[in-house]
Amino acid sequence: MPRINSPAELEEFRKDVISKRGPNKPCIAVCTGTGCLALGAANVVAAFKEEIKKQGLETKVEVRETGCPGFCERGPLIVIYPEEISYLQVQPGDAEEIVSQTIFAKKVIDRLLYVDPITGEKIVHESEIPFYKNQMRLLIGNNIKIDPKSIDDYLAVGGYSALVKALCQVTPEQVVELVKNSGLRGRGGAGFPTGLKWEFARKSPDETKYMIVNADEGDPGAFMDRALLEGNPFSVLEGLTIGAYAIGAHEGYVYVRQEYPLAVENVTLAIKQAEAYGFLGKNILGSGFDFTVTVHRGAGAFVCGEETALLASLEGKPGEPRARPPYPAVKGLFGKPTNINNVETWSNIPLILNKGPEYFASIGTEGSKGTKIFSLVGKVNNTGLVEVPMGITLRDIIYEVGGGIPGGKKFKAVQTGGPSGGCITEEYLDIEVDFDELRKVGAIMGSGGMIVMDEDTCMVDVAKYFLKFLSLESCGKCSPCREGIRQMLKILTRISEGKGRESDIGLLMELAESTRDASLCALGGTAPNPVLATLKYFRHEYEDHILHKRCQAGVCEELYKAKCTNACPIGQDVPGYLSLVAEGRYEEAISLIYQTNPLPGVCGRVCTHPCTDVCLRAETDEPLNIPKIKRFAADMAKRKGYTVKLEKGKAKEEKIAVIGGGPGGLAAAYSLALMGYRPTIIEELPQLGGMLRYGIPPYRLPREILDQEIDFIVNVGVEVKTNTRVGRDITLGQLQKEYDAIFVAVGAHKSLPIRVPGEDLPGVKGGAEFLREVELGIAPHPGKRVAVIGGGDVAMDIARTCRRMGAEVTIAYRRERKDMPASEEEIADAIAENIELKELVAPKSIRRANSGLALEMDVCELRDFDRSGRRRPVPIEGAVITREYDTIFSAIGQTSDLDFAESLETKGDTIAVDRHRLVTNLPGVFAGGDAVIGPARIVDALAHGKKAAVEIDRLLALKSGRDPYAESLEKIKVTMTLPEVVTEQPMAEIPKLSPEERIKDFTAEVELGFDEETAKKECGRCLRCDVSWMAARDKSMAVAG
Amino acid sequence: MDNGKIDKIIDKYPSDSSSLIQVLLEIQSENRWLPKEALAKVSERLKVPLNRIRHITTFYKAFSVVPKGRHEIHVCTGTACHVRGAKRVLGAVQDATGLKPGLTGEDFRFSLETVNCVGCCALGPVMVIDGEHHGKLAPAKSKDVLKNYE
Repeated sequence: MPRINSPAELEEFRKDVISKRGPNKPCIAVCTGTGCLALGAANVVAAFKEEIKKQGLETKVEVRETGCPGFCERGPLIVIYPEEISYLQVQPGDAEEIVSQTIFAKKVIDRLLYVDPITGEKIVHESEIPFYKNQMRLLIGNNIKIDPKSIDDYLAVGGYSALVKALCQVTPEQVVELVKNSGLRGRGGAGFPTGLKWEFARKSPDETKYMIVNADEGDPGAFMDRALLEGNPFSVLEGLTIGAYAIGAHEGYVYVRQEYPLAVENVTLAIKQAEAYGFLGKNILGSGFDFTVTVHRGAGAFVCGEETALLASLEGKPGEPRARPPYPAVKGLFGKPTNINNVETWSNIPLILNKGPEYFASIGTEGSKGTKIFSLVGKVNNTGLVEVPMGITLRDIIYEVGGGIPGGKKFKAVQTGGPSGGCITEEYLDIEVDFDELRKVGAIMGSGGMIVMDEDTCMVDVAKYFLKFLSLESCGKCSPCREGIRQMLKILTRISEGKGRESDIGLLMELAESTRDASLCALGGTAPNPVLATLKYFRHEYEDHILHKRCQAGVCEELYKAKCTNACPIGQDVPGYLSLVAEGRYEEAISLIYQTNPLPGVCGRVCTHPCTDVCLRAETDEPLNIPKIKRFAADMAKRKGYTVKLEKGKAKEEKIAVIGGGPGGLAAAYSLALMGYRPTIIEELPQLGGMLRYGIPPYRLPREILDQEIDFIVNVGVEVKTNTRVGRDITLGQLQKEYDAIFVAVGAHKSLPIRVPGEDLPGVKGGAEFLREVELGIAPHPGKRVAVIGGGDVAMDIARTCRRMGAEVTIAYRRERKDMPASEEEIADAIAENIELKELVAPKSIRRANSGLALEMDVCELRDFDRSGRRRPVPIEGAVITREYDTIFSAIGQTSDLDFAESLETKGDTIAVDRHRLVTNLPGVFAGGDAVIGPARIVDALAHGKKAAVEIDRLLALKSGRDPYAESLEKIKVTMTLPEVVTEQPMAEIPKLSPEERIKDFTAEVELGFDEETAKKECGRCLRCDVSWMAARDKSMAVAG
Repeated sequence: MDNGKIDKIIDKYPSDSSSLIQVLLEIQSENRWLPKEALAKVSERLKVPLNRIRHITTFYKAFSVVPKGRHEIHVCTGTACHVRGAKRVLGAVQDATGLKPGLTGEDFRFSLETVNCVGCCALGPVMVIDGEHHGKLAPAKSKDVLKNYE
């Protein structure tokens, strides 16, 4: 290797390196960062090398093993130069084809390209892939271009020209000035101005000073520094050397955690190469400046990221922090002035020297300049490293770069700054990301970890997770940190186990504040942040855990039996009845179902089954078809004439009115009747059932099933007053006088207007109103041509109903099919019935036409992401289509008609209640269901009904001085054994009537139900999450060593 | 581990207390645990009292003062892996090996540890066995992976 003795020699050598390569020489760059290696990149490299050898191309084609470009999700990644063709998820078997097709024949291989999930378009060039396109890759952009084990590669992309500039063109003071002017702030977390830090160290009067690269990236979930040190160690060393020159230090250390073996290897090799070339060592580039660097491996302690702890560790001591001041700039390593910066800070230095501080300061916000690398991980589609300018919004990072949340789940929060940081909710996704803005919302930038969490993440668990981490990592030196964290963890643990106390939230706050204020170092000082942030934004989750022993996300395992049961608002014992059906114990199965659900035949048909969404069997093959098994059990019970034995409480005197005969009202009346009350349901329409009857068409829910199940409820002991509208036939005030308690469950029966000109024309109708009229037998025929505007289940119901009335139907939806709120199965069924689905059209106006109504629609395209996490449809200028229809239905949502009860306090369009007890502002008046939460699921209404009954009883019992009703359920013994072997077997599909058959008859049920054999077999697929394998496991623990 | 090897390692570093952690890390990676005799040797050569060495070996997570199994399993419980279900993967591994984190089986086939983050969050949940990464794990898959290590 040559030693380079002057800037002129360096330029000479650089020219030589570049000319030897030739700009058109094909090069296959394979990412060999830790992520891609874990996915088999080493075998891909070997396969390319072998293929090239086989074809005798060793001198003509280069295979380069590079650092990490960031798109780890799709690794192993390769880029082919000079064309910059990007292939993803490349396997060794692809090597031959790539060499012969792409390198030789210059043909792009389609199947290895990135496919845009929105347009379906295949993207050839790396820079055009949305993940990269929306970034600003000043620091990690070179990673895929260079082999981190080759200093020549670094020189070829202009490496070490910043060092030349520093050493030979400016004074050390000027370097400090340049960095100060750039506005660079430390990337390690606190964001202290780097130039200022350097100035302190520079001014410290001491012969010996030390420089340190802090690469102890201990924040779990962050790997920016790993990628930089692994992928481009030279840029870090170059920055460090420039810093040493500016400060006047001659010795430096790279403190890197040993969990990053590849980073250790690459930086060690880079130092050797830099020494050989004369970029490190004595008389660097002939400038007379000396500087040496040593690698020091951290031995696994998070606290060592704290600078004083890091210094102790470097001295060979336990990594315990000490109080500051004196700051390291005055008294650091071995008592000498020391300057410590984070990896990413160092790698910004060459950039500032090369492009000038003005350029650097032109990027970013007022207070935070340049770019920042984030490790975007967790529940996000494009996981990986992203480098973005300061000031970008969180929404852009998560959606434009990250591609949104996988599996259509709902975004919940993003945690920035790791264990010392905080979480940010949907509400704040539009803030501009920089050091100061993040702090304002209770989070911190930290080193750049960004963990996206969706609805399946429990925030109590997140706080517990970080506190557990911190309690293990607290060095123990000062008691506020050691004990404070331990006590907070203890409280969080008991909350997550269902043993929380009502006073716990206050106690947590108190502990958090004292730990924050009294700890010695930043570890303790920031440790309460996860608790404080989750308490600030997710207090309701804490309350649910403490008061209701419920973990909605299904994470805190002690609080539930199985995920399906937990996801069900009424807590159906799903594994229990599945097991009973599997054994043919149908009578017990239906009894078990009835213990929590008075409408099994209804739910088995039309429940939106949140249980299947969380079924763990999906990890093996597909989830279980839980609702259809419930339907089977209910049908079986009817066929065999099983009756459910009910135990009723002692008769009670108080009078209770239930307003609304829908699922919420029915559930409340049922529970109240079982308690011994004789509630009265007051219903406006002629029959009970609410939305079940007047919203769901009979081909989905046969009326005979609905009637039977309602009759059963009424027969338990419920009075019914139909054709009685509160507000018209009787006032709420009168009811309050007559009854001891009232439950309002009026549903949401009023269609929202579409808000376009012409919506008042005859022939433009509300969808919900239409479905009601159909059921009442008073609906006018919609005509031959029908349009339904909307994409939810109601839109499907209207479309399919009209289809059965002989109409040609078009569903007009402003986004795409995948965005439709209706269940995919419903959409598929509608399309099978020859209903047209028109995507990406939004109504513009309606006017009278020659033969009916002309509906003018804007053709839309999807642009940026809106608050729902879906892309916003925006009309394309000038693209308007017009079609004629006889009837146009609006089905874009519903609201409650609350005119009857002006005295009830509302929140928007819903009734305001205390969510724990469902009480309204009026004494003795409770409310629930759609009228409280907006159009929701049937099971939510059932859950509210039951809850209201319990609360009403508690209130009345208190008034009359008796104990509240204690529910006693019959113990049904379920066999508790795990399936012995699990073999792949897809979910059993429900047989259906053919589309031709089913559109002939309005009442013909589309779904036919399982036969006995299929039902039993499907039940056999259940993995029995309810059987505790933990107990069995703990017994067989081996202890050794 | 014989004394010659230990001497060789110590010789690579400046013979003072600041080299302690680096020397111990190298012995750990060579021998996979730190026997008492090795620590005594280090104490003598670097002139660091044994009690301080004990302090170091228990303070830092990388060191083990008990023998390790033939295969070292590190289940990543970093935040990214955690929100993607690392807990259940760890449960499955515990189930399959009969070990709790920090323990080694009586047959010395496996040692089980958790690790805070191995920096391949995109592949979470991740488990590292003898330095080899296994990503995108589900509980059942992680059990299958273990079968390849005898």
